[in-house]
Amino acid sequence: MTAITPEITQAQSPPPVLKQSHRGEKIGSAIFLAPAVAFLLLTSVYPLIYSLWLSFHSWNMTIPNSQPVWIGTRNYERLWDDPDFWNSVQVTLIFVLVAVTVEFIFGMGLALLATSRIRAMGWIRTIMLFPLMLAPVVAGVLWRTLFQSSYGVINWAIGLVGIPAQEWLGSPSQALPAVIAVEVWQNLPVVTFILAAGIQSLPLDLYKAAQVDGASSWQIFRRITLPLLKPVILVLLLLRIMDAFKVFDIVFTMTYGGPGQTTELMSMLIYKTGFKFFQVGQASAMSWVFLVAIFIISLFFIWRLDKE
Amino acid sequence: MSATTMTPVRPAPGTPNYHRRKQIGAILLYLLTIAIMIVIAFPMYWLITTSFKVPADATANPPVIIPTRFTLDNYVNAFKTAGVSRAFVNSIVVALASTFFTTILGSMAAYALAKSYLSYAIRRGLMIWILVTRIFPPVTTAIPYYVIVRNLHLGDTHTALIITYVAYGLPFVIWLMLGFFQDMPPEIEKAAIVDGCSFWQRFRRVILPLALPGLAVTSIFAFIYSWNELLYASMLTSFNAKTIPVVVSGFISDQFLRWGEMTAIGTLMVIPVLIFAAGAQRYLVRGLTFGAVKG
Repeated sequence: MTAITPEITQAQSPPPVLKQSHRGEKIGSAIFLAPAVAFLLLTSVYPLIYSLWLSFHSWNMTIPNSQPVWIGTRNYERLWDDPDFWNSVQVTLIFVLVAVTVEFIFGMGLALLATSRIRAMGWIRTIMLFPLMLAPVVAGVLWRTLFQSSYGVINWAIGLVGIPAQEWLGSPSQALPAVIAVEVWQNLPVVTFILAAGIQSLPLDLYKAAQVDGASSWQIFRRITLPLLKPVILVLLLLRIMDAFKVFDIVFTMTYGGPGQTTELMSMLIYKTGFKFFQVGQASAMSWVFLVAIFIISLFFIWRLDKE
Repeated sequence: MSATTMTPVRPAPGTPNYHRRKQIGAILLYLLTIAIMIVIAFPMYWLITTSFKVPADATANPPVIIPTRFTLDNYVNAFKTAGVSRAFVNSIVVALASTFFTTILGSMAAYALAKSYLSYAIRRGLMIWILVTRIFPPVTTAIPYYVIVRNLHLGDTHTALIITYVAYGLPFVIWLMLGFFQDMPPEIEKAAIVDGCSFWQRFRRVILPLALPGLAVTSIFAFIYSWNELLYASMLTSFNAKTIPVVVSGFISDQFLRWGEMTAIGTLMVIPVLIFAAGAQRYLVRGLTFGAVKG
């Protein structure tokens, strides 16, 4: 956990002056922590446990005075045979893998460029702030119109170079790539900024030594930058993957999971199952499968980080 | 031609050919960068210009890239639409209130975690737990949360949204402030202890004023989160407490008819974020990485 947790060390024992008032310090710390901990218990732990309880029940919450009925593991069994669920698993995995990979490759390129000799760096930095400043919901609605098939700007732009107009969000094969493109557009700056900051913090003398030894740019990147940057890259990938699993706003506004179910990310499916079809138990079961899967993936990254 | 003027097959450094190759490479690199920057910047440009376009230009085909006719009608009409000004007020109230509480509660907790008066095991356990709450997608607790809020009769109130955003902002604020507190030289604390300051006095009069830049940055991120949030806002509000993101998502149903108004609202939504982002540029990386990389 070293790279991802701000350093907490056992060596940091309280200064000696404190000995006599140590009790007071402990009580003070506890009082300071209490409100935040209570808040998190009530707003994140309790709903999670409640959700686990609901996942073993059947309940349509729109029927007045109806009560959840215990049905055991049937919600989970039903998921196993549910083609919508497996479709969503597939769409989510493709979305996360492709989006994070593309973000990483382009982000690394831009970060290397930004930290090398290029002029106008200030401009690049400012421009790259733009996608971050747009709320995801605004970005989604905006891109939806840019992708619009009859008078959208994108079809006009590709028309200039002779490519015929495409359906984009209306096409089962193009909708997911379009949504991924918007996700990449919005988060590429994050990746670039983090990698650039990481590169800038690397020791300069190693690079000078490599240049003296006549190493090519590729060799320097492959043998010096990449290995030294590994902890930063791992943290970055962990954060980006976790955030990509959370994406909701842009799909909600751009496609609402369609056409068909070609862009139905897990977050969209859970939302629809719970708030459109009101199958509260079913949606809770999906949530828990989703949570466990994400938890396992993040444990893997944290374990790798621990090894570094 | 004598052998001495023969150029090697691969241009060596210092020869004219070598320089030309490097120049072509650099030009291509610049062109590619410019192209990427145009794609990155275009939606923002399009949002702002469209909000000032006359209706005929807004949906023209081929699109009007550089408008020549401007109007403020979109802004006027947007505010004439029922619920829009109320939504702006709601958004401001909810974002400010939740930012305030998140920052206060979060920095208090971070201070207690940063100082080692509690045992290592407790602090580490709490920090990992806080990190884990940040990992879970919001949608996974959306349903139980909705039921709880409904049972408490808090549906469609500011209170429900503020509580939600404080809960989601807390882990972030705690982690970020933890980094800032740990960067402070321990001598400051020691001096305050020698002067006889209690735990609370130290925090209030010594540490907090010194952590003000960090506090400012953290609160900006908390504000932007609450300001932009859609999922919980659309779920927990229907009329009275409806926020701006919910209004924007509502434009989809009749998007092509009211395109100008939507972009006007979208542009107004950017303004507070723009102001804050300009102030927080220096700390951007730290905020974006949840404090894991010190930018």
